[in-house]
Amino acid sequence: MKLTILSMAVSILLFTACNNGSKTTNNSVGGIDSAKTEVAHTEAGISTASTKEVISAYLQLKNALAKDNDKDAAEGGNNLVKAIGNVDQASLTAQQSKVFKDISDDAKEHAEHIGSNAGNINHQREHFEMLSPEIYELVKAGDKTGQKLYYVNCPMYNGGKGGNWISETKDIQNPYLGKAMLNCGSVKEELN
Amino acid sequence: MSWVTKGFMFLLLVLITIQFIQPTRNKSRQASRMDITRVFPVPEKINGILKNSCYDCHSNNTRYPWYAMLQPGGWLLASHIKKGKQELNFNEFGSYSRRRQQSKLKSIGNSIKDETMPLSSYTLIHRSAKLSQTERDLVTNWVEQMRYSLL
Repeated sequence: MKLTILSMAVSILLFTACNNGSKTTNNSVGGIDSAKTEVAHTEAGISTASTKEVISAYLQLKNALAKDNDKDAAEGGNNLVKAIGNVDQASLTAQQSKVFKDISDDAKEHAEHIGSNAGNINHQREHFEMLSPEIYELVKAGDKTGQKLYYVNCPMYNGGKGGNWISETKDIQNPYLGKAMLNCGSVKEELN
Repeated sequence: MSWVTKGFMFLLLVLITIQFIQPTRNKSRQASRMDITRVFPVPEKINGILKNSCYDCHSNNTRYPWYAMLQPGGWLLASHIKKGKQELNFNEFGSYSRRRQQSKLKSIGNSIKDETMPLSSYTLIHRSAKLSQTERDLVTNWVEQMRYSLL
């Protein structure tokens, strides 16, 4: 019996000792690494969707937040991550491509946070508030779909600091305050 | 040997063996060219607060507590640091896009204001890392200023 235990211990030791060497990672390149994989993912061109998919995922997210539904919002966030990754940059106009490059890493990060924060709708809304102006800029750069969109502002969000969002309807459905103040907001600008 | 003794022996062995699996330490001797102090004016006071309360998980250098040597405590720590650095690394701040810097600054302000950061599990052990209301105000005001400088 003692022998079995001993041999087990030795084998575990050997196994872990071997494993350990390969685990060394470079400290400083963590961020850069993930950036590389993002680019690779985009270049692989899984689908040739343009910004249309991005906008529809954003709208799905917006509508879930207006319904105070954190789980659906998370799903919308995850879809948005995918949509941003799937954008085929070759299909964009020069102007769109410039804006897309500028916003994509940040917008993707916001979407990721929203996707991983089901159960914390306030945090999802914080990121939604930072995400919205980026999607706005993307739409402003020219949206091929020509879908009618509205840029809406609610002055009450975040203790009077206000928040903006893009909506597909003129009818106000507030994603920041949800049911508590569903109709707060006014159209600032009509897009397309 | 009774099975209880055997069980204990086994657990002890496992505990001893895992001590040999030490995660890589978050230590870098190089001064980063992308450090936040190179891209923004960081007043001495703010720098002190950041170093004392944030840098253990959000920079390339961690001041390790004694239990980092003991597993699985050290593993837990390593995973926190990995995640922390992924979210925000003050030593790499300059490498973020302008927009990402803006978002990060805003998120720093938010998480300090609503006291989700520094993590309560962290300040429980590092009592000195806990921020006072004055310190919180200092950091959030500074972060806002920096954010406006980027607009």
